[in-house]
Amino acid sequence: MFPDLRRDVAMPIVGSLALFGMLVGSGLLFAALQGGRASGNLVTAMFIDAIMVVGLQIYIGNTGVFSFGHIGFGAIAGYAFALFAIDPVDKATRIAGAPWGLADVSVSPFVATLIALVITLAVAAVIGLGLARSGAESGAVAATVITLALLFVTHEVARSWVSVTGGERAGLTFGIGKILDSRWPIYVALLGSIIVARLFAQSRAGRLAKAAREDNLAARAMGVNPISQQTIALLLSVAVVAVGSSLRVYDIGSVLPGLFFFDYTLLTLVMLVVGGRNSVTGAVLGVAVITTVREVARRLGSDGYEFFGIGLEAAPLGWVFREGLPRVVLGLAMLGFMIWRSDGLISDWELDGWLWRKIRPPEAAPEVPAAIASDPEAKLVADGIVVDFGGFRAMDNASMVASGGEIVGLIGPNGAGKTTLVNVITGMVEPSGGSVSLAGKDLTAAPSYKIARSGLVRTFQNLRLFSLLTVRENVETSALVAQQHGSGKKLPTVDELIVAAGLWEHRHRRASELDYGNSRRLELARAAALGPTFLLLDEPTSGMSDSESLDMIEQVRTMASMVGAGILVIDHDLNFITGICHRIYCLDQGAVIADGSPSEIQADPQVQAAYLGISAPA
Amino acid sequence: MLGLTTKYGSISAVRDVSLSVGEGEVVGLIGPNGAGKTTMLGTIAGLLEPTSGTVRFEGNDVSGYSPDKMLKAGLALVPEHRRIFTDLTVVENLKVGGITVGSAERSSLLDEMADLFPVLREKWDTPAGYLSGGEAQQLAIARALMSKPRLLMMDEPSLGLAPVLVDLVFELIQSLRDQGRTLLIVEQNATRMLQVADRAYVLRSGEMVAEGSGTELLERSDLFDTFVGGTSS
Amino acid sequence: MTELVQNLIDGLGRGSIYALLALGVAVVFGVMHLLNFAHGELITVSGYVAYALFNQGWSWFLVAPLIVVVAIITSLVIERLAFSLVRGASDFTLVLTSFGIHFLVSAIFIMSVGARVKTFSEPGWIANTFAVGPINVEVFDVVVIGVTIVTLLATVVILQKTMFGLALRAAAADFDTARLMGIDSNKVIRGAFALSGALAGIAGVFWLMRAGNTAPSSGISPMIKAVLAALIGGLGSLKGAVIGGLALGVAEVVLRSQLPGEAAALTEAVVFAMIALLFIFRPQGIISVSHAERV
Repeated sequence: MFPDLRRDVAMPIVGSLALFGMLVGSGLLFAALQGGRASGNLVTAMFIDAIMVVGLQIYIGNTGVFSFGHIGFGAIAGYAFALFAIDPVDKATRIAGAPWGLADVSVSPFVATLIALVITLAVAAVIGLGLARSGAESGAVAATVITLALLFVTHEVARSWVSVTGGERAGLTFGIGKILDSRWPIYVALLGSIIVARLFAQSRAGRLAKAAREDNLAARAMGVNPISQQTIALLLSVAVVAVGSSLRVYDIGSVLPGLFFFDYTLLTLVMLVVGGRNSVTGAVLGVAVITTVREVARRLGSDGYEFFGIGLEAAPLGWVFREGLPRVVLGLAMLGFMIWRSDGLISDWELDGWLWRKIRPPEAAPEVPAAIASDPEAKLVADGIVVDFGGFRAMDNASMVASGGEIVGLIGPNGAGKTTLVNVITGMVEPSGGSVSLAGKDLTAAPSYKIARSGLVRTFQNLRLFSLLTVRENVETSALVAQQHGSGKKLPTVDELIVAAGLWEHRHRRASELDYGNSRRLELARAAALGPTFLLLDEPTSGMSDSESLDMIEQVRTMASMVGAGILVIDHDLNFITGICHRIYCLDQGAVIADGSPSEIQADPQVQAAYLGISAPA
Repeated sequence: MLGLTTKYGSISAVRDVSLSVGEGEVVGLIGPNGAGKTTMLGTIAGLLEPTSGTVRFEGNDVSGYSPDKMLKAGLALVPEHRRIFTDLTVVENLKVGGITVGSAERSSLLDEMADLFPVLREKWDTPAGYLSGGEAQQLAIARALMSKPRLLMMDEPSLGLAPVLVDLVFELIQSLRDQGRTLLIVEQNATRMLQVADRAYVLRSGEMVAEGSGTELLERSDLFDTFVGGTSS
Repeated sequence: MTELVQNLIDGLGRGSIYALLALGVAVVFGVMHLLNFAHGELITVSGYVAYALFNQGWSWFLVAPLIVVVAIITSLVIERLAFSLVRGASDFTLVLTSFGIHFLVSAIFIMSVGARVKTFSEPGWIANTFAVGPINVEVFDVVVIGVTIVTLLATVVILQKTMFGLALRAAAADFDTARLMGIDSNKVIRGAFALSGALAGIAGVFWLMRAGNTAPSSGISPMIKAVLAALIGGLGSLKGAVIGGLALGVAEVVLRSQLPGEAAALTEAVVFAMIALLFIFRPQGIISVSHAERV
């Protein structure tokens, strides 16, 4: 299943080549038709912008973390490149007094780019640690602030550290005739960055990052540690941005503080969100669209404008069509897309994904494999769990045991603490007392992704699927984790699980398009794909009709036996619970008030009392 | 007085249900966790929109009203988990509840609440976050009464309370009933609810499975099974 | 010691302006979860209106109150034209919308009046100082601190004693429940923007007095200060925003006087770096407003 060399390697490269070809082809065609230096420069700038925007996409698109300060990395790279690449003769006029002999250094532009890359990556590693520490996740404010601060810091340093950067007025400038005189380095960098972005998106790290983007909590519950994927995404993204920035400085021939500040941040972000931030194709498309629109606005804004021979002597509506127009258009584009189409023109559509769907070989549904044995000695033990929320004791010395392969039910009225117990077992709530262990291994308050990898995998009461990903991608996410961290148990394939869940015909649909019952089944399949020792199911039949929940019994049984897992299931529906469980625990007010076989539990007056609210006999 | 028929899409907890409440009636809506009770109250209060169906109140179609318009129409909801404003003081919570009435009326209502809930009177200027569970529930109910609703809805008023406090909540419901108020109450504590209700509906898995007067339902021996869906095997 | 007191007064003067701006950001964040990067544009717009009025021969005494009015109106207009359309959208959308407005406003000024800085004269008394023992106190700082104290007190009264303030606090604490209590979401959000605009207007008067000019990019600096101060304090906490603003002002002044040689020019960079560090080790800011996640 993964990596599927054709789907995850060959097609992305083909798609990248096609994207590259289309962007470069249309740019060159435009330049040839228009002629003149200006249009050539415009096209060059567009290619460089494309490198930057693809770089941004690698991080923002895959992780959903909103980095405001990526252009700050660009500033570091740009200045580093300029400091090393500019001839000492030309530096002498600006920054003769630079410390550490920087004024005398001279290396080739290629080496200077590498140096800029290394320096920028070092800074990125530090920032990455900071982001990890602050718990960056989709929409996290701290990440926005940290990256924004980076942008301000680089800008201020560039402005104020005059002896190295040349300050706000002079800056650093290449000598005449010593700037980039060929587009070849740009082509190589552009193609390289598109390929890197596409391959990353299809890679293990990219997929896990996207799962965490869709739902951080659910990803952690599936054994994903988002921090490591996000760090990889950040470093790759910054590397691309660093190369792009070096080329930008080399092409323009000078660097000033304003070159990598708000204006450029806005330009690149607009390009990214207009195309569609979740897709590399979208990023490239956004670059082309915004470059075109901006150029049209610029020409409309200058007197005597003309476009392919059509034009007027003087611009009409002189108060609108004038110099500042391109900026206004950019601002409007940002606003308009945010208000009416915040996912951009093509959302997460990818050229190579589309091509792959056209040409992939037909697939046959596999047979559902036989059950595999579970280890009865692998006991799940929760002992004396106490949870206090503020002054409220949600869990009061609750204990439970489940042997491997056993199906154990957890019932009780609303607010009894069932979900809290599952939250404690899976590491999402830290208990104030008590311990959790699996097969003798203590897991009390371990991070939830480690607990998941150790064999305790849960589903959620209020459905937490990776909604933009397809059904198959949802299941693949946990299969990828199992591949790397699994117990070595021989697990069914992703497709076998999808068939067992009855989702085969929906395998290519987005999780968000599934109806309620199928969403529940997908959650089950996704959890099973991790090959857990225990599946912890929180209200798997919530919102289902009686007949649906009877079907669910079979599905839960099949899935669990396919991966040799025991089950701990919360449900309110006694039909379901008595139909599937070997043993049941009944909770009330945070404590276990009864346990036993289904018929014992049903006859227990305390259980009836807890449900119906009759005062329990003392 | 209140009529509700709703139909939801497949992704929702409630399917095709209807219920009605007459003036001066205390109606219970009982059923297990996940039955869709909260969804129904949320729909009536305007927090959620049904896929189809209507909410009628005092002869007017109020479907699709925003929550503040519903309140102004005379429907108030005491939400699940009480949702009191913990940073605001007790009296400020009450004032927020009475934001739609005039200031003179508001102060007379405040006096009324002080009489009705002596516990709250003692803690008038305490931030509501410091109240105990029972006090907080009383505050939540008092806050809803501040808008002078003609129909008061409560979502799980006994949830998470110690048994003594559950008694207190039901006494309170009883006294509101004695005042002739119209109440629609979602409860999981079925027996207690049925003891105070004129009528009740049993909702399970998004469907109405039983309906009748409080005493009728109480006498049904299969109540527990109806309730949690156990087929006595 | 003398230097410290001197710095403290200067810092509080500067910080007061930041505090008013940050408070406006925090008020809006409270009801809408919007981190408003367009906040500085209220000062840009006010600056141009002030410039136009000065050209008509108006004096600061007449212009100052008008600046506040203009800021309130601008804030409401921006809410109506843009933010009301993205209510309840994702954080990503909200942040980029406000960033887009920030950019659009400055772009419109570049297009309509040009990128050049427009200067006007500062009030005559702005550079006056008086001596208290060994300390030189700027009249301007005293005025700023005084007006800020009065403004903050007035804000406290509005928030604590009026029904509007109560509605605002209730909506910030729990928007859905506030609606259930009959609070009209439109009114409370517009009220928040009006209050935020008024605070920005008062800060704007001082900002423009000190700057003595306005330009399309004038909004950037106050925006950065406002957003960062609100974040330092802990988003959503009004008290935190005020503390954050004052802390930012004092930190800037102290660092500028203490950093050696060329490094003093890097004051702002150092301050920003410190803020980044703060967020690495305390992502919720100084005063945390907890948001428990229900699973």
